[in-house]
Order: sequence, then structure tokens, then C-alpha cells
Amino acid sequence: MWESPEPKKGYDVIIVGGGGHGLGTAYYLAKEHGIKNIAVIEKGWLGGGNTGRNTTIIRSNYLWNESANLYDHSVKLWENLSEELNFNMMFSQRGVMNLAHNEHDIKEMKRRISANRLNGLDTQWVDTKQIKELVPIMNTENLRYPVLGAAFQPRGGVARHDAVAWGYALRSNEMGVDIIQNCEVKDIKTDNHKVEGVNTSKGFIRANKVAVVASGHTSVLAQTAGVRLPLQSRPLQALVSEPIKPVINTVVMSNAVHAYVSQSDKGELVIGAGTDGYNSFTQRGGYDVIEETVRAIVELYPIFGKMKMLRQWGGIVDICPDASPIISKCEVKGLYFNCGWGTGGFKATPGSANVFAHTVAKDEPHKINEAFNLERFSNGRLIDEHGAAAVAH
Amino acid sequence: MILINCPYCGEREQSEFTNGGEAHVIRPKDPDTLNDKDWGQYVFYRSNPKGIFYERWVHSHGCRKWFNAVRDTSTDTILKIYKLTDNKPDISEFQSSLKSPSGEPAVGSGNFAVKK
Amino acid sequence: MPALRNKDCNYISNKEIKITFDGKSYSAYEGDTIASALLRNNIRLIGRSFKYHRPRGIYTCGIEEPNALVQILNEHNEPNTRATVKKAYDGINISSQNRWPSLSFDIGSINNILSPIFSAGFYYKTFMGPKGFWKKIYEPLIRRTAGLGKPPKNFRSKSIHQNHNVDILIVGGGLSGLIAAKKLIDTNNEVLLVEQDSFLGGILKNSNKVKQIDGKNVFEWVKETEKLILKSKNIKILKNTLVTTYNFTNHLIALEDKYSGKKIDVSKSELTLHKIRTTHTILANGHIERFISFRNNDLPGVMLASSFEKYIERYGVTPDEKPVIFTNNSSTVSLVKSLINLNCKPSAYIDARKQEDIEDETKEYLSKNNILFYPESEVEGCEGNKKVEKVYIRNSSNKISSINAKMLCPSGGFNPDIHLFTQSKGLVKWDDKIISFKPDTAFQNTITLGSVSGNYEFKNLCKEINKKLSFLKVDDLNLEIKTNIRDNLSIKELWETKTNKKSKWSKSFIDLHNDVTTKDLKQAINEGYDRIEHLKRYTTNSMGTDQGKISSINSLGIVSKILNKKIEEVGTTTYRPPYAPLSFAAIAGRSTYEYYDPERKTPIHNWHIKNNAVFEDVGQWKRPWYFKKNETETMHQAVQRESKQTRQSAGILDGSTLGKIEIKGKDALEFMNLMYTNAFTKMKPMTSRYALMLGEDGMIMDDGIICKINDKHFIATTTSGGAPKVFAHMEEFLQTEWPHLQVYLNSITEQFTTFNISGPKAREIVSKVFSDIDFSNEKFPFMTFKTFNYKNTQARIMRASFTGELGYEIYISPQHAFELWELIFKYGKDFDLVPYGTETMHLLRAEKGYVVIGQETDGTVTPIDINFNWMIGKKKKDFIGKRSLTRSDTARDDRKQLVGIVPLDKSQFIEEGQHIVECENLPSKIKTPIEYLGHISSSYHSPNLSHCISMAMIKNGNKLMGKKLFVSTPKGTKNIPVEIVSPVFIDPENERLTS
Repeated sequence: MWESPEPKKGYDVIIVGGGGHGLGTAYYLAKEHGIKNIAVIEKGWLGGGNTGRNTTIIRSNYLWNESANLYDHSVKLWENLSEELNFNMMFSQRGVMNLAHNEHDIKEMKRRISANRLNGLDTQWVDTKQIKELVPIMNTENLRYPVLGAAFQPRGGVARHDAVAWGYALRSNEMGVDIIQNCEVKDIKTDNHKVEGVNTSKGFIRANKVAVVASGHTSVLAQTAGVRLPLQSRPLQALVSEPIKPVINTVVMSNAVHAYVSQSDKGELVIGAGTDGYNSFTQRGGYDVIEETVRAIVELYPIFGKMKMLRQWGGIVDICPDASPIISKCEVKGLYFNCGWGTGGFKATPGSANVFAHTVAKDEPHKINEAFNLERFSNGRLIDEHGAAAVAH
Repeated sequence: MILINCPYCGEREQSEFTNGGEAHVIRPKDPDTLNDKDWGQYVFYRSNPKGIFYERWVHSHGCRKWFNAVRDTSTDTILKIYKLTDNKPDISEFQSSLKSPSGEPAVGSGNFAVKK
Repeated sequence: MPALRNKDCNYISNKEIKITFDGKSYSAYEGDTIASALLRNNIRLIGRSFKYHRPRGIYTCGIEEPNALVQILNEHNEPNTRATVKKAYDGINISSQNRWPSLSFDIGSINNILSPIFSAGFYYKTFMGPKGFWKKIYEPLIRRTAGLGKPPKNFRSKSIHQNHNVDILIVGGGLSGLIAAKKLIDTNNEVLLVEQDSFLGGILKNSNKVKQIDGKNVFEWVKETEKLILKSKNIKILKNTLVTTYNFTNHLIALEDKYSGKKIDVSKSELTLHKIRTTHTILANGHIERFISFRNNDLPGVMLASSFEKYIERYGVTPDEKPVIFTNNSSTVSLVKSLINLNCKPSAYIDARKQEDIEDETKEYLSKNNILFYPESEVEGCEGNKKVEKVYIRNSSNKISSINAKMLCPSGGFNPDIHLFTQSKGLVKWDDKIISFKPDTAFQNTITLGSVSGNYEFKNLCKEINKKLSFLKVDDLNLEIKTNIRDNLSIKELWETKTNKKSKWSKSFIDLHNDVTTKDLKQAINEGYDRIEHLKRYTTNSMGTDQGKISSINSLGIVSKILNKKIEEVGTTTYRPPYAPLSFAAIAGRSTYEYYDPERKTPIHNWHIKNNAVFEDVGQWKRPWYFKKNETETMHQAVQRESKQTRQSAGILDGSTLGKIEIKGKDALEFMNLMYTNAFTKMKPMTSRYALMLGEDGMIMDDGIICKINDKHFIATTTSGGAPKVFAHMEEFLQTEWPHLQVYLNSITEQFTTFNISGPKAREIVSKVFSDIDFSNEKFPFMTFKTFNYKNTQARIMRASFTGELGYEIYISPQHAFELWELIFKYGKDFDLVPYGTETMHLLRAEKGYVVIGQETDGTVTPIDINFNWMIGKKKKDFIGKRSLTRSDTARDDRKQLVGIVPLDKSQFIEEGQHIVECENLPSKIKTPIEYLGHISSSYHSPNLSHCISMAMIKNGNKLMGKKLFVSTPKGTKNIPVEIVSPVFIDPENERLTS
């Protein structure tokens, strides 16, 4: 188990944010880059942010090469993560399906499948007959926007969200990383465009490098170092049903009707809704968003009309203008950001952490995250993944 | 769902409105004189504070008029609604009236239900 | 066996009903819940637990029930229904859950025998190796055992939503709620009172605690108060309605069961979801009794003391005549009194409090009635075969003895039911006096009354309510409340009793629903999961369908003891809505299926149906995709036929879905110059122009044809799907950036029905239809338009084309549209006019090299990328998106550019979405990424060229003209050799368009 030490006076690297990405960054810094004098500082409890609030979908079927490489790097790490961390991530590669509801969806998906194939990904087109075989309870015809087919990635799936944070925490702690919970970073201290450390609720902690992985709160922290980030924090909601015996053996996402569903190993249906259209840090979105998702769900799966919602909750996601993340250094020396994951950060956890660790250690990006820089918002080289993000932003 | 008091129609549910992001961001008068970075700031960068936020809304399923609002993004409390022609209210007007639910801090994920 | 009942229960009717449980028929009474009906028939075993498949019985008498979940077979197999809430009715068919083959013999109970290995966090630590075992063996195995109920059957609900706007919402029609309501009778406040049960009264009906109110017996008082409320003009009561959700801005969700105790009529709405907006919310939703952890505290026959009392008082059924009572507080004596009133007697009364802390009245009452009394004692555990048979008692001198009993009723104290209060974002505070959290600071306009506020004393109740509602300026109400028990609660902290008799299969549960034991909690803390949120997730404590209503505070108590912290330091986990599981059907309401999203149809829709159109969804619109000439014609055949015929003679498209926006005003010209890339200043009046609209990021957002009537008046068309967005975009800039411009915008999409006629015979046809208009090339050249009066409505004809042929777009009032359409066909017959759909439209424009927004463009394409440099008004100082075009990356000249592509072997067909590569073959399994130049955005078999034509966006495309490359195929390894050509395949000189 990880310890809960008091912070030291200073560290080589301070990671702000004890979610999966932050803890993973610490793990890879220690393991692959030999940096051991690291602190992960978490305001609340480990994995208490979006790591513990998401619907755990893992896939890599993104359109652009940059994204496909990044997310597939992640999926590959996922595939061995349980063994590597000796902690069961329960990564269940049950496949992820994106439904097409109109001709435009079909065209977009076929293009994505072809691009994925050339990038070595396993995405494939499945017709309605194959969909019915994979998900017999789905209603494909008798609904307002019929299901016309789907893009299916068999290697995709779901994992146990808490396990990721805990697994990384355990192993990085074993390598000497300090994990400091219940410690709030109030601001980032800089001097002459160079990072000096962070002011926290437990006092000032010096650091050579500060890596901020604070999801929805990243831009608030960046502001304290005088750095502006093109992020907007939005509520994203999810819900689970009561547990029932297995009925749906794959992950089904539908962009057009804003709903995605998988069934947990406990039997609960885990359902993701869309984001709200306004900035908020309340971890609570509009009730109408839940309503919209649920009405799509009962139409797609007529048996769900007799199911009940057990819990609903919200997280705060940080959204970039091009629906792609930022894994980048910035104009302040020694300050690094990993943010802007929007609705899709969980799947990227190991890959993001891995290349971010590289970026922090070497002070230059890994070739996988080279394109995910801040300059793209000036020079126009965006990685527009609105089509693949699967949730309306 | 929060309620928004449209200055033209009155109080309605948020779902009748569309959010237009940060308010008082003025489109550069002469874009060609800006360098890539400054232009990028205008196109892609918007403030994202936890707390007092000046923002724009449009009553898209109503009168279709745009207006401004001041909202506390940490509680979704609307502190003021004003027309585009009105002056930007000073931030000091709101700082004292902020009410924090569950004692949430200015930075951090919150989720506290117990009074300390 | 005849159903048992207590004679003097006011809440159960005399009418007998028949219910079926696990295939056997039983008698019950109308008004029974499933649980009370089963108890009436002496049924104790009702289900199997989630993880260990341990036998479980009915633990409570309400919404907090962790065990008694059943499946309703005759209601579409509804799973996980709370037997303690769901009302029975004649003919209801119920089955137990999570057992196979039967409830009493359940194979899954092997998990209980294996349970020593299923400890907390077990899954995280095991089931990993050897490699591949997780995926192939462990995971499928775990998944098969998942879940509780069986899946329901298809169900199309007719549930509805109802909105309320009130001044005051009262949640809970118990004593506090009724007093509050009574105070508000005939005041100026509009009040809604919501009660989850079918009767008002709360504790007055559920227990024996209150004797009289204002000198009247409680049943009479409630009846009378209800009558007064119903007579009032300002208060409405909703019964059988549960408030589940407390959102921001005092927005609450409540679910009403319209068929409580009745068989559902599937043709009617069975549930109403109430959406309540209120100025003030009064929470009077009471408290929940909590349990105590001891060895085998899950055995059927263990039932919370106040629930037992509720079965007696509310349902008129006595679950057992001689239960053992185990308490840590003063309230439980009312159960003893209830039993004595029925000539029953507890087998023993075990009170954990010290002799001197126990009320004298209680001691006297117990001794007077000769009840075995154990002060300063506790239940060590209980045993029995699928039911309680023996209870082990540890007395004050630490000696353990046992007595025989069938039921055991623990009471671990009461929690104010703060779920809704915390949902509202109110802060709670720990109260040592009642040993629980209670509301402290409200975040919204929320008032808590009675036990939910932590006030358990009846004599103070009116005072509390008067004080808290004084801001409403209503009269004080002082009622005399006489009770059967001593009023102030005395309680001793007790979460778990010490286990003496250790056995691997005996367990002391902290979460009955998720089968979490106190040992699991300890082990998890030992492993370091000592944050309450980690503990919850690691052990799944309080994450079941009951959300730990009877046990979550207990787990905090146990954790605080282990960590040697105060409970308030341990903190509480977040309560997440809903308060109790909420039906998906109710949330969805009527906005499903035919009401999911409106279908938009053009005025010609019925004609299309009659003429065998196959439709496609374009946004909300239903558009003809193609027209089937006969039953056997395939889509390919139809599209080839339509395309060919249009180029040979003439075709007509129903283009009504095109967005139309009228732009008028003094500054219309300046506005248009800013909104579109094109320069409109020099454009002549009564001419039209193809135009592009960009986002501020420089990427193409939409396109359309702009008609300039004069500098003060324009009409723009938009794409069908883009119309709302374009209109909103214009409005935004007009109102927020350029309010000084005097411009008025008007969406006229629905005001004009649009037909596109094109083909070499188009002129002849329109000349016949509109005989007084001169359609000659000189008088009506390409990209001009005419407005005219058609049967006293405004009409417009524009000479434009999206097919590359001579074409006219007719804009006509919808009221005359259908007759005009038919008229066109009347004349068109002689010219071989063919109706065509969107697919043919797409094919024809591809032959001509025209782009489709959303197909060639994807939000990353600039006008320059699609060779539309000429459409950029270079002399214009500014337009939206202009500056972005010169950013360093956007200005590169090797970006992806629009090209045409044809296969070298003309018999081959190129699929849309495939990619252009430099290699002839692909490996069968691609391991390292293959570089590609771009993708095929459109591809059709051209009937006019008799081979495949494609459009593509490829890197540096302009410089690759004539180059031989390859296009991938969906699955094969052999790529298609192709040549890069101009995207204009037909009539590059525009002769057809302009002659």
C-alpha cells in the first residue's frame, strides 16, 4: 500500500493531480527515466476526479494519425498493464462499437475504419445483422434514427477505473514517489519564466519541474503561473442502472443520439451522457442531459424500459477547441501541461502518462505527443477530432 | 437545471438557451495586423475561471436575443444578467455575495458534505 | 393457509387477493406490499445475496430495503423490485432473484463456502496470470455470475412528465409535513405536498409512538388534517410519489406510481415523473433506522425493530409473536408496546445501554410484562438453517447464553434522512447527541423539519416548525402531542458487537446488499485504503441499490474506531441522486419513438411516398434518397437511371430542405461582405453567386447561393443540415460584434418550397409552366433570378445549377407548391422529366466537381484547399475567418487539396473513405503504419462516363495532377491503381450551364 508522507522541502518533479494520468506520469518517470525524487500532490483523494467518474471506455479508433498513434500506444500499454503493475486492471477487451444512424455517419465511419486500418488498428465495419448478433437486445429498425451499421474495434473495451490509479500509486510509491493526498496546490510559483515550486495548503514545496495534470482545474492553476490555456471546463454526466444478469457483452456508443452503454462485471449498465454547453465546476450538469440520454437508451434497448437508474453523477472535463489533448511544455521553463482530454481521457491514461513522463524528463516531447503542443492554436495545425470524440461538445 | 432570467422574456429553463462562452471578448478591429499568436488567442483562448465568470447567453428557443450574465461557475449561481448595451459590472459587486456549496475551495475537486 | 391480519389496522382493506411467489399461490389483502403479503404467509426466505448467494429475508419495511428484491414476472419481468415498497395486487406474479435452480437450493451458494477467499479487493489481486487467462477464462466467468435480477422484457412505456411551479414544496406527508401544510392552509403560498406512501401520517401510521394529537387519536387527526388540506385552495397532495432528485435552483424530481396496488393498464401512463420548481423546499422526509453488525446479521428473520413495528401498525401483520429485540437506544420500547397490545411478547429485550441509562419506565414496563431483560448486553450473533433459530447474547458480565427465537429485531439508532439535503449541496454536521449526521447549512432555500433535521422530540416539534417557518409570516400552530414512549432519544454508540464464535462462514455484514463484511473494511484499511471514498470503492460498501441507507453511517463508525478518528473527520461519501432507483421509462417520458425527434417533411412528401421514394434522414428532414421505378429496381439502378435521364432530358429535385435566410437593411451589403468570403459590393442587383462561409478558424462552415436584390436586400441559401447553425452564426455576429449595423435577419426556410429542375430540357419545361416569363439565355442568363407573383404569393426563380446542367431553382409558397409540382410533371412528361433524390444529386454534382459541405469538407478544409481561391474577396479588409487563412500552417501550399481520381482500369470501383497510398499492395496484417496521402471523399459510378469517378483530398494534390497512385480497398491487400485528375469530369467549360 502507498504511504501518506508529509511533503519534503523540494522535489525534482512535482506532479499536480493524483488521478490516473498524474500517478502514471510519476510511475513512468521513476521507471523509465530514473527520476525518483517525485511528489504527486492531490487535493482530495487519489483517483477521485475523472479517473473515478468516467465510463471506462478504452479504444483507439481515432481519425487522424496523431491521435490514432497516441491512443493506440495507450491501448497497447493497457494490454499488459495488469501484469506490469501486478494489479488487476480488469481490462476487458470486449470490443467497442460506434453506431451509424445516417448516411453521413456511414461515410465518416468508413473513412475512419480505412484510416485506422492503415495505422494498424483493428477497427472494422459491421452491418446490422452482425450488430444484432453482438448485441441481441438492440433495436436497430423501429426507432427514429435507425441503426445502419457500426464501426467496431474488438481490441477496445472497458477497465476498472479505480484500479488504474491504485496500481500506479502502489508501484510508483514502491519506487520512492511521495504521494501526498489532501494537499491543495494553491498556485504555481515562477521566477523569470522559470518554475520554482508550488504553494500548497501544506506550505511551499520547491521543484525543478512542475507537471500539471489537474483535468478541469488545469487552466485555473495555469493562470497562477501566468499561462493561458485554451480550455473550457464543462460538466459531463454519467449514470448506472441497477445490476442485472449479463445482457450486453460489448461497449456500444452512439454519437448521433448521445448515449453510450456497457455492462460492468457487477451487472450494472454504465451509461455515459453528453456534456453540458456551458462552463461549470459544480460536478453537476443539467437534468435535461440525463433525460436526453435515457430516452435514446430506452429506444435503442427496449428492455431498458423496465430498468432503473441507480446513481447519476457528474465530472468536470476540460475541453480543447479541436477536441484533442495538450501534452506540452510551455513558455515557462520547467512547467508542463497534460490536459484537454475532454470526454476521452481515461482510455489514454497509460499512453498519456508514458509520453508525458518522457516530455517532462527530457524537456522535449516524445514523437507520439509532438503534435499535441500549444503552438497549434497559433499556427493552425489542429488535430480536429470532433468526429471521433463521440460526445457532442 | 439552472434558471436564467432572460432580460427580454423572463425566467426560463437553461435548456431554452445556448451559451456563448466568455463575454467582453472583442473581435479585433483589424485582424491582419495581428500576429499568429495574438490571433490564436482571440480565436481559441477563453477564460475558464472557477468562480466569477462573465459570459454570454442567447435565448435560442425564445426571443433569440443575446445578453450577458455573471455566473459563479463553482455553484452555477447567476449573479447578474445584463444587456449587451449595459456596462460590464465590476467584479467587486459580486465577490462578497459568493456562496460556496459544501465548502468547496477555489481550486480543487470539492465534494465535501461535512461541515468542519 | 389463510392470510393473517390484525383486526384493527386502518390501512389494509378486507378484500383478499391472490398473489404468486416462485410459482406458489398465496392469499393477501389489498393494500399489502409484496413483503407484508409474504410475511402474512410466514415466508421468511425471499432471495439470495449478491456475491455469496446467502439466504436473505425481509430486513426492513420501506425504501431502505437491502435484501428483499424480487422480479415481477407479469410486469415485463421487472427486476430488482423492492418487495417492501411495491404494492401487491390480485394476480401479481413474483419471483425471487439470484438463485438457481431454486431459492432454497441454490448452486451459487457455493460462493458462500468459498467466501474466505472472496475478501475485499480480491479481484484486484488475483485472476491475472497466466497470460491470457484473464481474458479467456476468469473474466467471462466473473461476468456470468454478475448481476442480480434477470433482464426484463421489451417494454414501451407511456409514462409522462408533469411540471409544477410552486412556492413551497413539502417533501414528506408525515407528522412534520402535515403540521407545516396545516400552517399553510389558505395562505398566499402555492404548496405541493409529496408523500411516498398511499397514506399520509408517516410515523403516526408506521408506529405506536404517538398516542394523541390535540386530544384526537392519530388516525382521526391525520384524516381530519388531510380533509382540511384538500379543502384548501392552495395546497395539492401527491401520494405514492417519491422525491428522488434535488437539483440546483430548487428543481426537484419526483416519481408517482399511478398504479400503486393495481394491475398496470399498459395502454395508459403507469408512471408520472413530476418536475417541480419551487421557491422553498421543506424537507420533512424523516429518518431511517440503522442496523447493527453482528455475526450472521443477515439471516432471514433479522428485521429492524421499527420496521417490525411498521408491519404491525401500518400493514396489520405480525411477522412473529415472540421476537428478540436488540437495541442501543430508547425508542425500541414502542415495539414492545405494539406487541403487548396484540397479546404477543418479545422473547427477550437486549439493551446495550448501561442499566442506569435505561429509562425507568422501560424497565418497569418490561418487568411488569415479564419480559426477559438484558441490560448492558448485546447480541453476539445468531444461527440457523436459512433462518434465525438461535440468538446468542453476551450479557453485562460478558457471559454468552443462547435463546431460541425465529426473529431478531435490532435497532442501531436513527439517521436523519439527509440524502436529499446533501443532493441540494447542503452541508451536514455530526451530532454526538443523536450519533448521526444532521443538516447544518443549506445551500438553497431548503428547510428541514422534524427528524430529518435531527429533532426526534415530539414535544418540541411545533416550536421548531413555527420557528423555521416564521419567515413565511404564517400563524403559529401549537398542537398537543401525546406519546407512548419517552420523548427524548437516549442512545449509546454501537456499530458492531464482538464475535465470540469464529467460523469461516459466519459473517458480520456492514453492507447486506453488496455482501461486504466488517472484516472486509478492516482488511481494506490494513491494506491502506483508509480514505472513505477508497474504502467504498475497494470494498463496494454502500454502492448497492439501497446506497447503504441502513448501514453507511455504521461503516463510518467502524472505520473511525479502527483509525481512531472522530466520525466527522472520517467524513461521509457523496450521496448521489437519485434517492432511490428511478425508472428509465419515467425519465424518458413520452419523448421517445415517434416523439423522439420531430420528422420534418416537405410539402411534396406524400407525392414522394406515392412514387416509391426511399427516404434518408438528413438532420430532422426526411428527404427522398432515390425513387424506385419498380419493385425490383436496386438503388444502383435507380440512381444510374435518374442521373442519365437528367443529363439527357431533365430531372427535378425537391430542394425544399435548403435553408433560406433573408438579409435586409441599410447595412446588408457590409454585413454580407463580413459573413461570407465573397465580395458582394460589385455584384449586380438581381444576380446570384455561389458563396462560402467560414468559421473564425478559417475552415469552411457552410456554402450557398446568395441572391442580391440590391445593396439593402439579400437572400441566402444554406445547406439543409446547416441552416440553423448559419442563421444563429449570423445573428450572433450581428448582435454581439456589429450591433451598429442596421440589418434584419429572417429565416424563410419554411416559407418557400424549392424545386430544382435541371437538364437540357429544363428551359422548355419551365417555359410551359410559367408561360409569361422569358427564359431565354439573353433575358434570363446563368446566375440571375426573377421574382414574380404566383397566385398572389411571392415567388422566385433563379437560374442556377448543382448538377452542371442548365438549371432553374423555383421558390414558391408552400400552399401552392404541391399543385405546381404536379403542373411541372404534367408539362414535364413530354420532356421525359424524372424525379431524382439526394443520391443522384450527389452523383451529378460529383461529375461536375462540385463539393458537398460535410463530405469533401470536414471542418479542416479551407476554401484554398478546394481550389476556391477565386471566391475570396482579396480586396476585402476583413471577413470572418480571413485572418486564419494566413496562419503559418494554414498558408502552406502542400496542404490536402481537392483532386479528381479515376481508376486506371475503368472496370474497377473505388470506395468512399478509402485512402490514397503510394504502394501497390498492403500487407495482410498491417503492423507499422502505412503512410497515406489523403482519402476518397466522394466516389460514384458515372453513368455518363461509364466508369468510376472519385473526389479526394490529398496532400499537395494540386501538384500531383496526372500522377499514378493507388487507392486502398476496404479489405483487400491489392490496391487500385489510379490517376490523379481534375475533379471536374463533365463540361469543364461550363457550356451546359451557361447556354
